[in-house]
Amino acid sequence: MKTLTTSLFAPTRRAFGAAAVAAAMIAGLGASQALAEIQHPEGFNPDEWVIVASVINTTNPYMISNIEGAEAISKALGIDLEIVNSNNSSQTSISSILAILASGKKPIMFVNTVASSDAPPIVDAVKQSGGYVSIWWNKPDEFKPQAIGDNFVAFQKHTGVDSGRCGAQALAEALGGEGNVILLPGVQDSTTSKTRVAGFKAEIAENYPNITILEERPSNWDPQLGARNAKDLIVKYGDQINGVWSADDGMQIGAMQSFENAGMLDKVKFSSDGLYPKTLEDIKSGRGDNAIVGETFHRGYMASAIGLYTAYLAASGQIVPSELEPEKRESFFKLSCVTPANYEQYLQYDEPGAPDAFVERLVETGPWNTEPVPLVGGGVEVLPES
Amino acid sequence: MRQILSRSTNGPIGMIAALLALIIVFSLLNPRFGSVENLQNVLFQVSVPLIIVVGTSLVIQMGSIDLSVEGVMGAAGMAWILLSPNTRLETDIGVWAWVVALGIGLGFGLLTGAIYAKLKVPSFVVSLGTWYVGLGVAILLYGNSLLPSLTSETLARWPTRLTLGLPNSFWLAAVVLMVGVLISHYTRFGRGLMAIGNNEPIARSNGMPVDRYKIAAFSVAGTLCGLAGILATMQLGSGSPDIGFGQLFVVIPAAVIGGTALSGGEGGVLRSALGVFLLIILNNGLVLAGVDPDFQSGVFGTILLIAVIAVAWPQRGRLKVAK
Repeated sequence: MKTLTTSLFAPTRRAFGAAAVAAAMIAGLGASQALAEIQHPEGFNPDEWVIVASVINTTNPYMISNIEGAEAISKALGIDLEIVNSNNSSQTSISSILAILASGKKPIMFVNTVASSDAPPIVDAVKQSGGYVSIWWNKPDEFKPQAIGDNFVAFQKHTGVDSGRCGAQALAEALGGEGNVILLPGVQDSTTSKTRVAGFKAEIAENYPNITILEERPSNWDPQLGARNAKDLIVKYGDQINGVWSADDGMQIGAMQSFENAGMLDKVKFSSDGLYPKTLEDIKSGRGDNAIVGETFHRGYMASAIGLYTAYLAASGQIVPSELEPEKRESFFKLSCVTPANYEQYLQYDEPGAPDAFVERLVETGPWNTEPVPLVGGGVEVLPES
Repeated sequence: MRQILSRSTNGPIGMIAALLALIIVFSLLNPRFGSVENLQNVLFQVSVPLIIVVGTSLVIQMGSIDLSVEGVMGAAGMAWILLSPNTRLETDIGVWAWVVALGIGLGFGLLTGAIYAKLKVPSFVVSLGTWYVGLGVAILLYGNSLLPSLTSETLARWPTRLTLGLPNSFWLAAVVLMVGVLISHYTRFGRGLMAIGNNEPIARSNGMPVDRYKIAAFSVAGTLCGLAGILATMQLGSGSPDIGFGQLFVVIPAAVIGGTALSGGEGGVLRSALGVFLLIILNNGLVLAGVDPDFQSGVFGTILLIAVIAVAWPQRGRLKVAK
């Protein structure tokens, strides 16, 4: 197997397609860990480059998934990988990235920014070093890749508004369009939380006039704070509460525990974002009389793989970012609404080896066409009025 | 006589007044604040920081500080859940899970204490180091597979279940608190810690085993952080390396608000406990009063300032340098 991979990786010129066919063959041989390395275009020396993935921390399941995607891409491209753990701090993130840039290799980078304001200094530093970067989730609206140049390849995200709308629909439908709900947003001033909350409220305001939002309590993406706030709201509203929406599954896990402790889990419905493995288990087992009614599906490994592959295509000259359509520079990728009725079709993406399989398809179809997360739009996310 | 009187009123009286004022105002704003259900809720919420603050106070009393709280909680909590009935591993070793997790807490405490006492490295830096080592251990245990959740109903429900009308987790904290009070007031060790905080050279010249006391204080603190990690994990029903997230900035301010001076030699376990109650009740009350989330941080800070002034008011006359 080693020789096969080595020969593929040797600097003989081969068509891109041939490499893909070979990749498929190797995959067919059943070598799950030996993903084929793809053929780089002429003039691209992988030894001059390093893949860098910067994540907010290494304890959140989403971030861990980001790292898995980066590992899969690194393996597929045959380029070394460096992980930056920001430890929830913008300062740590920026200084660690600068340290890696100082090592001399040019970066192909994915950054899951801690705060929007981290994007400009990081992009500047990458540009100085001749590297290429894709930013995920957070950047200032007016800070546009088109204005910075090719080194800032793209800004990519799943829209928060769609996530909030998914959650609102599922919850409102499960309640028969009538009832009282409480909201647990994330860190209150984060774009991700704000957009999700705006989407939720807009959907309720537009389509479900008989759903009342009792209160919202930002819970900082923290399961324990989610649990505490939920507990306080249970005391405050008691059985008036019919539904709970959380801006991510972490807080929902905490909130569900509080409702379970209060003996109310089977009387209240929940919806959220992320479809964490624990949430999936709860949907499968029907915990709390099928308490979870709606989720959204996207995976961290898909985000990092898309971001890194886009940056790689720019680094290797296979795309020229400035010639791309605007929605490929500021991109929205598809977010699927998941319900207990359709969750089974998403199980395949959590199987062992799923990140490698995704990267394989990504290399075949390109960063903008890979299911289940194809490009669906772009620009700056507009908050709906509610 | 006057001295004795002023001594006894100096203590937690401002604190208790501040607490009572908060309770009255919040009850007026929302009658549910004073309900039995909310009392149980508050007692449930204070239990984890209450356990930690006992150790924190002992350490602060001798003029040191233990920052390793969150890391030690993470490591102990993860170890405990992985060795208890959980969704990830089939390694349920029953009561030994407690022994291992508490042992991890004790180990970290011993390590911090030994480096601090024997190598004379400031406790601030040593415990910062052990914080990250603890977090590192927790992250390694967490790995990147499934989030481990408790599968035993008995364990998951234990903290909320009521005994004599109060949640079990509070009873656990109350026992720890009582033992802490007894140790700090009625043992040579407890009084020794205060003496070290007051004047270490004198304590040493009196033949007090200062190093041993220091190591012991950190060991107690570490073990209690381990216990708090277990309890927090049980309360959440799932393991997470971040299980201690935010606790450090509850317990240290709580101790200081309670009158435990960071310079050592002053304060007490019970007063720190009142500080914990103040912080938790303040948060709980603001939610029940329906303070807009946009204002919650600001209002929290303002009320805290007023409360702290009230607490310090009886002592304003004393010639005292605040640091």
